[in-house]
Amino acid sequence: MTSAVASNLLSDLLSGPRPAEWEKLREEAEARLARRDLPTTSDEDWKYTDLKALAGITFGPAPKATVDISGHLLPEMVGTRQVFVNGHHAPHASCASAVAAGVRFLPLSTASEACHALGMVGPTHNQSPFEDLNTARFEDGAVLLVPKNMKVALPLHLLFITKAETPIAVFPRLMVVLERGAELELVEEHHGKGTYLTCPVVEIRLAEGAILHHERVQRDSDEAFHLGTLKAEVAKGGQYHSRTLSFGARLSRQQPWVRLAEGAEATLDGLALLDGAQVADTHSFMLHAEPHASSHQLHKCIVDGHARAIFNGQVLVAPKAQGTDAKQQSRNLLLSETARVDTKPQLEIYADDVKCSHGATVGALDPEELFYLQSRGLNADDARNLLTYGFAADVLTHIPVASLRRTLRQLVMARTQAASLGDFA
Amino acid sequence: MSTTLNVVTSQEYKYGFVTDIEADSVAPGLSEDVIRFISAKKGEPEWLLEFRLKAYRHWLTMTEPDWAKVNYEKPDFQRIVYYSAPKPKVAKYASMDEVDPELLRTFEKLGVPINEQASLAGVAVDVVFDSVSVTTTYKEKLATVGVIFCSFSEAVREHPELIRKYLGSVVPAADNFYAALNSAVFTDGSFVFIPKGVTCPMDLSTYFRINNKESGQFERTLIVAEEGASVSYLEGCTAPQFDTNQLHAAVVELVALDQASIKYSTVQNWYAGDKNGLGGIFNFVTKRGLCKGKGSHISWTQVETGSAITWKYPSCILLGDDSIGEFYSVALTNHKQQADTGTKMVHIGKNTKSTIISKGISAGDSSNSYRGLVKIQPRAEGARNFSQCDSMLIGHTCSASTFPYLEVQNRSAKVEHEATTSKIGEEQLFYFQQRGIPAEEAISMIINGFCKDVFRELPMEFAVEATKLLSLKLEGSVG
Repeated sequence: MTSAVASNLLSDLLSGPRPAEWEKLREEAEARLARRDLPTTSDEDWKYTDLKALAGITFGPAPKATVDISGHLLPEMVGTRQVFVNGHHAPHASCASAVAAGVRFLPLSTASEACHALGMVGPTHNQSPFEDLNTARFEDGAVLLVPKNMKVALPLHLLFITKAETPIAVFPRLMVVLERGAELELVEEHHGKGTYLTCPVVEIRLAEGAILHHERVQRDSDEAFHLGTLKAEVAKGGQYHSRTLSFGARLSRQQPWVRLAEGAEATLDGLALLDGAQVADTHSFMLHAEPHASSHQLHKCIVDGHARAIFNGQVLVAPKAQGTDAKQQSRNLLLSETARVDTKPQLEIYADDVKCSHGATVGALDPEELFYLQSRGLNADDARNLLTYGFAADVLTHIPVASLRRTLRQLVMARTQAASLGDFA
Repeated sequence: MSTTLNVVTSQEYKYGFVTDIEADSVAPGLSEDVIRFISAKKGEPEWLLEFRLKAYRHWLTMTEPDWAKVNYEKPDFQRIVYYSAPKPKVAKYASMDEVDPELLRTFEKLGVPINEQASLAGVAVDVVFDSVSVTTTYKEKLATVGVIFCSFSEAVREHPELIRKYLGSVVPAADNFYAALNSAVFTDGSFVFIPKGVTCPMDLSTYFRINNKESGQFERTLIVAEEGASVSYLEGCTAPQFDTNQLHAAVVELVALDQASIKYSTVQNWYAGDKNGLGGIFNFVTKRGLCKGKGSHISWTQVETGSAITWKYPSCILLGDDSIGEFYSVALTNHKQQADTGTKMVHIGKNTKSTIISKGISAGDSSNSYRGLVKIQPRAEGARNFSQCDSMLIGHTCSASTFPYLEVQNRSAKVEHEATTSKIGEEQLFYFQQRGIPAEEAISMIINGFCKDVFRELPMEFAVEATKLLSLKLEGSVG
């Protein structure tokens, strides 16, 4: 069973000219793509996510465009912003005047020092075709370099906006390097309008003791396809904490891959709020490569309408990774008769002195909890909405940027119809 | 690595002897002719031969599954002997006295009671040696309450209408690669039929023995419990020690009608190969139960300690409303053993419930995986599942993996899965030793505690055997 329906997609997307820089990297990616088809549901890795919907659409190259970003500005991050529209840097919408001296936060196209480092994070095999597509065709992207021991006070804001009048394909790219002992907060947002395919690739390298807090918000348009890859390597004692919030896109897939060195820490939290015919897939890979690292994953999905949520969380503990502490939770709430959840937490352990656990639950709201709230005077709808909101809220609570936290809480409230209950934000 | 906990070296496999018995075998290889030969040898009706040939033709179009987390050299299906039977001295045994004494001695050595007088009271046994059933005890006594318990070949002759109705109704001939192979070449096995309203007066048991070096064992078990009937069935198996691999590809089908209950327990102790991974059984088995009727109940309990490679997922199709499926498993792997085992619970009917308790213990250089599927179909209002999969690692060269698939399509369902990993710690052992319990005994006690939830589900005799088996397998695990 090969993907006869969609087999032109990869070659169509590659038919345009290859951008000039990173030639070797791009050639390698193209060579790998030439040997393969789009994955189908008979591939174990894509068992629950059918890409057939991509087949009927021809995605053209993304033109330069201008957008109004006033609705996306956050008061804590004035002057620390880079904006990319349709994969191209948007200098007029960006403003990096308040970025601390020494921090390099700029478009890839102007950052010569990034040339040698790009494409070096993560395994050099088994790339998803969408990562390779990005590598072969990305126009521009963001580079973020924080020097040794610098603790950056202001959070940085990165906006990837897509404006598609006709179907287009965009390839956002981001590379983050934190040198030894550096600390940073980064907010990465994806917004868009129209029908498009976006395949973002994020590469993160944290040196010894570096700490990155990474908030990722996906609010693509309801007609969009978002097929993203994230790869992070965390050196000894480093910490990578991320939270991915998925609201948009008719089909989205997040593929985070994290490698932990000795004593490193990682958090990979996620929330997906789905309705209509949305499909949201998260395939994470947590590699405990060295001893005494710890990881924590909480992935929550609220699924309404005909929507489908998919989670596949793999934790691999390498033979020498003694003293590993890994926890993973997949929690899913079904709100409608036709919603569907497929979850597969997965542990592979090759060391004996470890503490690993995972859990998964799928279910509706607890009738006893609903009854309890109703016995306290809430009507049935309010009780349901409050519990739904509460289910989502614990992922949002720890977002450090207050205005972002507020915006997202309001968004969740609106989506769970809990707004009538007043403002808890 | 600690000083106390050292590489595990288990005791020699004590069932590894070969019985020197004259066998009636067909030449190695598989073809339609071999299938016709088996069918003719068993005097089978035309429809059964057709069933086999259809399965074989389909099998030819299939490829061996490779998704399991096991590595092995694929068997050469043309080098396997598909039919091997101890040559009877007479056409049919009228009584036990006519059975070849060599065969009797074999089962005596294995501790399997095939002599009714000498047997454990209350357990009827069907004994399968390579391709044929040797004897079935207590048949007459069971017949008085209407229970049919006999070898599969006999059932084909005596009760063709039941076999025709139920054979392949749970595991279709084309279900998977090994089930198709089995459907084409199965030789014998057990058949159990419990009529309406009858509670089987004693536990039923089948003992499987592979003896021939080249032979594969392809047995077929079919258990049918009619409305309100109930039965407890036990399965045991051993094989001699050879330095080549033998293939065991069985199919077990259970059918439970309204309010019926089937409890199926296995203690699997096929030869596991030596400590360098030479030899051992490839255990590629399809076991599935169909809870067809309302309120029916199927429970699988397995203690998997043997086999070089295990690929086995006893499953329940919960079709009837209010039906219940259970899976209790202890899988122990040592040396170079590899096990990929678990269950499937497919919830179709309303208010169906399933419980999965899986305990995996890996030692030596072994690999032990739990792979399970819980599927809640859209119509399964009020379905409920609870799964717990715990792993224990002994030593730092083994691995433990968990691959649970949860597919939920009904919002009123409640599905929970938990998994943990632990090890036998230095401190735990120290604590035991401090109180005068030697390390070896301490390990055995810790493991028994770890497996308690599963052992509790085993019938008495099996629970004792399983406990003993686990400690034997891990003997010498402390240095």
